[in-house]
Amino acid sequence: MIGLSGRFRSALIIGGQGIRARKLRTFLSMVSLFLGVLAVVVVQAGAEIAERAVLANTELTEGRDGTVKMYVPPKPQTVPVTLETLRGRTDAVASTTTMAIIGEPGVTPINPGAAPFDQPGGYTSGMTCDQYGNCTDEPPEGQEAAPSGQAIELQLTAMTGDIRQFRPFRPGSGKWLDFASAPSLSPRLVLNLEAAKGFGRYRVPAEMRITGADANPTPRIIGVIDDGNPQPAAYVRSDELLNWLPATKLADEQAGIGLTVMMAPDATAVEQTLRARLVASGIPPKDLHAEPINFRKEAATELALMRWIFLGMAGLVLLIGVAGILNVGLATVGERIEEFALRRAVGTPRSLLAGIVLAETLLTGLITAAAAIGTGVAALKLVTIFMGDGEPSLSNLEFPWQAGVAGVVAGLIAGLLGGFVPALRAARIPIATVMRA
Amino acid sequence: MTELIQLTGITKTLKGQTAPRTILDGVDLTLHSGESLAILGRSGSGKSTLLSLIGLFDRPDSGQYLLGGRDITRLPERKAAALRSAEFGFVFQRFFLLKHMTAAQNVAMALVNGQGWLPRRKRRARVMAALEQVGIAHLAKHRPPRLSGGEQQRVAIARALVREPRILLADEPTGALDTETGNLVITALQSATERGCGLILVTHDRDHADRMGRVLQLSSGLLAPAGERVPA
Repeated sequence: MIGLSGRFRSALIIGGQGIRARKLRTFLSMVSLFLGVLAVVVVQAGAEIAERAVLANTELTEGRDGTVKMYVPPKPQTVPVTLETLRGRTDAVASTTTMAIIGEPGVTPINPGAAPFDQPGGYTSGMTCDQYGNCTDEPPEGQEAAPSGQAIELQLTAMTGDIRQFRPFRPGSGKWLDFASAPSLSPRLVLNLEAAKGFGRYRVPAEMRITGADANPTPRIIGVIDDGNPQPAAYVRSDELLNWLPATKLADEQAGIGLTVMMAPDATAVEQTLRARLVASGIPPKDLHAEPINFRKEAATELALMRWIFLGMAGLVLLIGVAGILNVGLATVGERIEEFALRRAVGTPRSLLAGIVLAETLLTGLITAAAAIGTGVAALKLVTIFMGDGEPSLSNLEFPWQAGVAGVVAGLIAGLLGGFVPALRAARIPIATVMRA
Repeated sequence: MTELIQLTGITKTLKGQTAPRTILDGVDLTLHSGESLAILGRSGSGKSTLLSLIGLFDRPDSGQYLLGGRDITRLPERKAAALRSAEFGFVFQRFFLLKHMTAAQNVAMALVNGQGWLPRRKRRARVMAALEQVGIAHLAKHRPPRLSGGEQQRVAIARALVREPRILLADEPTGALDTETGNLVITALQSATERGCGLILVTHDRDHADRMGRVLQLSSGLLAPAGERVPA
């Protein structure tokens, strides 16, 4: 062990001396290797950042990995049972989405069907469909189409609790819903970015129409969040909505829209209680589906192929760097024949001679990796500074540690591959060279 | 005096351009501690080949090689390297100093060879002692291009002495030096024998050979004693 340590230290010391003695050659080797290692770092960093971005967007729309998602079928009895079971709980939240129109009454909204404001079209609430699924926005016979007016249609999600623990919305402005206070008769709304864009662009009266509501409430907009949804949407406390809407209307049996319950991974007791009570209310157990969200694995599988293709290309660039190290290494060993022969004469084992050459190429690879990683970090910082404002997914980016590890591994592998043959040659230099010189 | 080296019936044949050529044909040689020995011979007579066999750079075709009574005739390379490090010091005609390293670093090369490990402080002390021994401690930080031929060879001698070897092998160490500088180098080598080190000097220079305790002549593959001499 001590002998090994001594050889290791000797290889590092002599390798370091070799690098210092041939700075220009080391630099040229680094130049040839730099692009290859940088390519590996960039591909790995890009893949990690892309995976994070995909996961972040999915978390916004679908929920965090590990969250258990249960679908409760739209039956009249399911809503009261679910609301009752989840009341006051923080580890489970039920939500349902319905359509709402805010603005002038009796008009066709600016964005029928809650379409994005810059991309009109989509399914409208006024559409009628035949038995084959062919839909048209022409009104049924005998009815006239409502005139266009100043109203905005949006998806309205009613929740029993703070859903952000499962769907981490990015804060925009204003504040989020306060579930601890008493419900207000004026439903408080938090808009998503697209809805906020619509309300910023158009002046609409504060009157909200919800299908099935007893009357049109006057909502209060208290904040804006980014929920990753391209369509206009708003979030509201379910109990505030229930002041205006019967509980049975929260689930639309005809449209097949039921409740979605999101639960913490360890909230098994809630799930069992809810399941038992729903079954007791007449819901067949087979209609209750609960499954944990496991998108990370799915995304990783989808991105893996792309990552390997790009890593393969980066590997080819790295091979050019390896060839550069090999070339310089062979030339250097050729020049150092007398030195290596002398070292053997003073008792240096062949293995240490090989170790010296490998130490030099590995150190070169490591220094190159450090330079490539530093460049990657700096480039990412610049991207964040100059492009982060326009593209939310590029703001607050951190350099992934996996890319750093990949760079170091690439540098070491390149050093190993490039130094292997020169190391063998160094170990085979005949000792008698010093006698013949 | 302790018997350091005993060669018996050593033969060595090298591949010639047309036919194999016998360089050593039954060489017998004994070296005691503190003894100095000169080997004379014409170019191509096999002096350097004999020295490379003694220094474990190569193996004899036949014969026996005892080092301190231990048979090392067929030693594997790994053990030979360890013995070269522990028992032998080498001085060559060309000094083989690395230009990018200082005199002290060149001497330390023999200590940083993977055969054991000395902490930096001890290493430095040993290096300075070796340089002191050959009288050039003040040049420790100089690089070879700034040193004269004699100084460079003394750095090489310090490198050979730094591990305190029992046997010093010098292959025409004065070949590249003028007479006066050569004498200084021989003096430096001889001083090592005063501490019990055995010295084998291969040389063409009869005057330098005469300063050794014994002078042998290598001719036709055989080593013939040239009579005992009194050191100058």
